[in-house]
Amino acid sequence: VIELAPGDADYPARLRDLASAPDPLWIDGELDVFRARAVAVVGTRRMTGYGERVAREIAAACARAGVVVVSGLAQGIDSAAHRGALDAGGRTIAVLGEGITLFVASVHGRRRPLVPRIRASGALVSQYAPTFCAQPWTFAKRNATMAALADAVVIVEARAVSGALITAADARGLGRTVFAVPSAFGSGASAGTDALIADGLAIPLTTSGDLLRALGRGSRGSEVKDDPILDVLVIGPAGLDEIASRARLSSDRVASRLAALVLRGAVETLSDGRYRRV
Amino acid sequence: MATEVAPAPAARSVARVAACALWGLETAMVTVEADVANGLPSFTVVGMPDAAVSEARERVRAAIRNSGFEFPLRRVVVNLAPAERRKEGTGFDLAIALGVLRATGQLSRDAGALCLAELALDGTLRPVRGVMPRMRRALAVGVTSAFLARDNAAEAAALGADAFGFTSLREAVEHVEGRARRSPAPPPPAAPRPSHPVDLADIAGHETPKRALEIAAAGGHSLLLVGPPGTGKTLLARAIASLLPSLDPDEAIVASAVHSVAGLVDPERPLLAARPFRSPHHTASHLALVGGGSPPRPGEVSLAHGGALFLDELAEFSPSVLETLREPLEEGAITISRAGSSATYPARFTLVAAMNPCPCGHAGDPSVQCTCLPDAVARYHGRLSGPLMDRIDMRVHVPRIPYETLREEGRESSRVALERVLAARERMRGRLVESGRRSNSELTVAEVRRHCRLTADAEDLAAEAVRAHRLSARGFHRVLRVARTVADLAASDAIRTPDLALALLLRARA
Repeated sequence: VIELAPGDADYPARLRDLASAPDPLWIDGELDVFRARAVAVVGTRRMTGYGERVAREIAAACARAGVVVVSGLAQGIDSAAHRGALDAGGRTIAVLGEGITLFVASVHGRRRPLVPRIRASGALVSQYAPTFCAQPWTFAKRNATMAALADAVVIVEARAVSGALITAADARGLGRTVFAVPSAFGSGASAGTDALIADGLAIPLTTSGDLLRALGRGSRGSEVKDDPILDVLVIGPAGLDEIASRARLSSDRVASRLAALVLRGAVETLSDGRYRRV
Repeated sequence: MATEVAPAPAARSVARVAACALWGLETAMVTVEADVANGLPSFTVVGMPDAAVSEARERVRAAIRNSGFEFPLRRVVVNLAPAERRKEGTGFDLAIALGVLRATGQLSRDAGALCLAELALDGTLRPVRGVMPRMRRALAVGVTSAFLARDNAAEAAALGADAFGFTSLREAVEHVEGRARRSPAPPPPAAPRPSHPVDLADIAGHETPKRALEIAAAGGHSLLLVGPPGTGKTLLARAIASLLPSLDPDEAIVASAVHSVAGLVDPERPLLAARPFRSPHHTASHLALVGGGSPPRPGEVSLAHGGALFLDELAEFSPSVLETLREPLEEGAITISRAGSSATYPARFTLVAAMNPCPCGHAGDPSVQCTCLPDAVARYHGRLSGPLMDRIDMRVHVPRIPYETLREEGRESSRVALERVLAARERMRGRLVESGRRSNSELTVAEVRRHCRLTADAEDLAAEAVRAHRLSARGFHRVLRVARTVADLAASDAIRTPDLALALLLRARA
């Protein structure tokens, strides 16, 4: 873990936009990751299957276009974004709300294996001393740092009250472009992002191509997968009966085609017996 | 045994009566020897009696006096041979009483039958648990008649024995003396097939879960239903009872014997006809689920032998209790080791389990927001160990059903599905005819190779599945067994692509 002051040459330049740039800033990882274009992808910890897919897909598209994905390594959308970028071979920065050493020692569950992968090509960043313990207010301050480290911010899923909305407000204050993913029809999980769009505070984001174009990285032919089953699974995971009725296919056809998609790795089985597009 | 059946000349000082001891489902013939000799009046039972057997002395003494006989004021010793194993329970009372009467000359002939009953102080005979397995043992060694309490007579008669049911000790003595001969109890009618409380026609939508139930019922494959609360998982699981064919005669005897030991048989109709459906609560202990204890009793896995075991809220069961299911799921039997002995009970059942998708229950539910963090959901599923999930053949999502589907008419009834199950079971039996096994879930690896022929397309799919490392060898064989059942239900000789695809998709674990 190294310690940088705003005066240092390696200090992330974009952070100087903040009224009070973190001083010092602790970094564990590669320093050149801060020089690339970057997008922050953030959202709720209690994500839906739909939100997870969107976060992964946006992060993967950024990774393929060489854009660094910045997020907060919380459970839910943040982790999905980091994972999506890493799985697509991209680089990613995790901005923590507590000391790096403490976090690395105490994180468990599905986020733990992400830590070495993030550090290998990207970086863990914190404005708090390595053994500083998280407080409720440290996450709010971390959100501003996260917004400053990125050229644009995407809010994937946020409830009416959500930390991701603080990040959106910070990003607007810094002049960063703010995108929000509209909710799926009938889902209450994105009340916060819908409100941002309705109030004109964020640009609705419906394809990752729009995001990359805004960053000047024209989309590299966003893959149009023309498969009725994959189309059905765009909205979120579904069980066999639901896929069959929405795709208007017989259950035998669905079984044969879905099995082929699973074997190809395009669809995975969830622990509750539903199927999700990867 | 021959000595008891042969007519004895006259009163003699040592009398022998046949009885049978029971440990769990294990049985052994016991000879009750009674000796009456001069000396200070005493009554001793030797031969490793437990507390209940020792107490028989008081019951026997009172019953003999209150039946109008005389209890000898001499030195009475009763030995339960072989003496090296502990005898449990109250089933020896009648044998001891008849032995004492014979030894004192108040009974002029040997009983010549298996005697199994508890005595009341007034000489009334009371029924005991576990008559069926003990009668089976007696028949195996050539003792074909039995003296029992009236309520137990049907159990022995169901096995083809000459079962005499008496209401009192006096009646039994009159019968042996030939003063009032009784005729053996007629073989009881088989228990009627119960009308099933849940029919498939009661359940709207859920096509894949219903299909999985049918596959489970036909092939004996294990099934896990996952879905939000209130979507009908329990109803679906209970419907499997309506899809199971009646027990075969040999299966019925084994299953009824287990129920007899647990004291769960109907005294009028002790022979089970319908396959058992057991649903222990998720707070069930080790002993309740797999059996054991002192005296050993069969657990739920053995009571479900030949039928279905339903575990609702699977993730709420204690993990160590769930681990004990691995052996019966693999072997179809459970071995209980206790100090000094180990016993193997039958436990071949179709496992049907249900659970919520997450701690709050609403993950994937479009109408209610799930409040669980992702790590909490992963932990919840982590409660089911890998080896256990490995033995679950099918995992099916049970979604919330929209109103329009709930109102739909013209659903298929269980009777139609049962026809398909019966036809599929017939096909399976035809293949396994010489092995004594019955269902596809019991196919050995060699039989899987011989009987699970794939069409050319399905062969490609299978090759791809193994190549993509989506399946271990054991997983692959389990998938083939399920696919075999899917094809059997469709009356197809070869396994076709959709059959194999469904089996692959429903497999919970690589």
